[in-house]
Amino acid sequence: MTGYVAGKGLQLIPTVLGVMTLVFLMLRLIPGDPATYIAGEATTQAQIEIIRERLGLNASFGAQYVNYVADAVQLDFGRSLVTNRPVIDMIEDALPATLLIGFLSLLLTFAISVPLGTVCALLASQGKGTFDQVLIFVTMALDQLPGFWLALVLMLAFTLHLGWFPATGVMEWGDPISLLKRIAVPLIVLSIGGIASISRVTRTSVLEVLNEDYIRSARAMGTPDRSVLFKHALRNALLPIVTIAGLGFGRLLSGAIIIESIFSIPGMGTVLIRAIQGRDYPVVQALVLIYALMFVMMNLITDLIYTKVDPRVKL
Amino acid sequence: MAITHAGVPRLPSLPVPDVSGLRRILGHRRNVLGLSILLPCITLAVVAPWLPIQAPLDTNPTASFLSPSLDHPLGTDSIGRDVLSRILAGARTSLFVGFVASFSAIAVGMLLGTFAGFMGRSVDGLIMMVVDIFLAFPGLLLTIAMVAVFGAGLWQVILAITISDIPRTIRLQRSLVLSLKSRPYIDAARMAHAPTSWVLIRHVIPNTIAPMLVVGSLYVANAILTEASLSFLGLGIVPPEPSWGNIIREGQPYLQNAWWISTIPGLAIVVVSLGLHFISDGIRESLDPSMRS
Repeated sequence: MTGYVAGKGLQLIPTVLGVMTLVFLMLRLIPGDPATYIAGEATTQAQIEIIRERLGLNASFGAQYVNYVADAVQLDFGRSLVTNRPVIDMIEDALPATLLIGFLSLLLTFAISVPLGTVCALLASQGKGTFDQVLIFVTMALDQLPGFWLALVLMLAFTLHLGWFPATGVMEWGDPISLLKRIAVPLIVLSIGGIASISRVTRTSVLEVLNEDYIRSARAMGTPDRSVLFKHALRNALLPIVTIAGLGFGRLLSGAIIIESIFSIPGMGTVLIRAIQGRDYPVVQALVLIYALMFVMMNLITDLIYTKVDPRVKL
Repeated sequence: MAITHAGVPRLPSLPVPDVSGLRRILGHRRNVLGLSILLPCITLAVVAPWLPIQAPLDTNPTASFLSPSLDHPLGTDSIGRDVLSRILAGARTSLFVGFVASFSAIAVGMLLGTFAGFMGRSVDGLIMMVVDIFLAFPGLLLTIAMVAVFGAGLWQVILAITISDIPRTIRLQRSLVLSLKSRPYIDAARMAHAPTSWVLIRHVIPNTIAPMLVVGSLYVANAILTEASLSFLGLGIVPPEPSWGNIIREGQPYLQNAWWISTIPGLAIVVVSLGLHFISDGIRESLDPSMRS
């Protein structure tokens, strides 16, 4: 098993290299001089020169690329142009919040949508379809809502009007209750899209599986309904769910950037947006790379889960 | 199989040509619903400059933060601009960005995808390698990164969204072309020494238009949403030029007192998005089963 994982990991190296190359090229794609662009207006020539030095733009193209890759592999992303802190330190500070919210969001999404979808499928198969239809419509409507807008509306309702949850403030890592209160609303907003799509996929998939012959055979053999559901139906319904979940990771990652920013959660998203607004390019470059690598990692994990769920699939 | 008047059995019909396709699309229920949502929005947006309401950029600081009334159906914002007027102007911008960006992405994507799928071998390998690298980035992240590089502004946003959508379009078009490549009529055409360009233009591309329309309407909805997100972050359309995203952004500090500034543009986005999704579903349903008969 570990050999297989290592093999898949090696296959990732060209992708990772490609991602790093693309991120590297992005800065150099700007027409004109990147240093001048970053410096903005009202800067002296001397300041622009300093920026050029800092970004290593005075070396040849090839040398820049080699330096960039060599540094990135050692996790040396330079220093922020705004605060002069090493970028890797900024990432270390911001990563826990992002990981916490991302992980909890995934947990919440699956905890809600899989049971919900299964219940809907069961109801639909027994002919009691109204609740099911209502739910489909509601989830479809919820899916359309722009994430950042929903964030504002919920902030308005829960934080400003009702005062149940705080909208700003530090993350209190020592106090779990206040921590949860702080991230509750962003968590809900982040998970809604996933809940909408995964509950719908679960419902469709379970419904399809329930109509299969082997379910009928199992029932005819007298297997208790609970066993039929958990041992046979859900297991076989998992594959499309994993597919859709894998596709949803991208949305989760991107959505988190905006939502963190709105709720001032001190995660990587907030740092990224602030860096773009402040033209702090080393930070932007590093964070884009990290996000892309996280996405690649998530896709790898999804593929591995695939092989576990369906033994017929060999990657 | 139907028996004709002369007693000769009729062969099952080939896929119907595009001419009646348009009529079929327009007749479908979902499409009518979607269009009835979308067309009024587009019309309103287009005729907005001629409506008897305050111009979107006109300020009136004495009349700021007025709640919705007959004079100002959606209220005024922090410097007295009429919110309804700004939302209509924002509709123009957002819809423009949505349609132009998606159209460009699909045009380029179809071109490169057909190329990759049909030419095969090294051309395909090269194009797909680049596409895979782009697809290694989550969508919005790539767009944000592009905007970080290009800067804020209307055409920068359109370019960023277009570039972000092209890889997915290439991949889709390529898979469509690959599945079409093995169809008998393509083989027949090639055996008859038809030049490749003729085969592509006459047979391959027309058969990819239907799926592309389905996907295209979703792209427009997505592009509108992306533009709104970018403008909301201050990375998109530059104020005072209104777009739904930056109106929401401007209303954010006043959420408690003047909730209408931020909430209503969001509703507009939802409505347009729903309309486009209905159209997409409708096109898919109206074109698919008929082609099989």
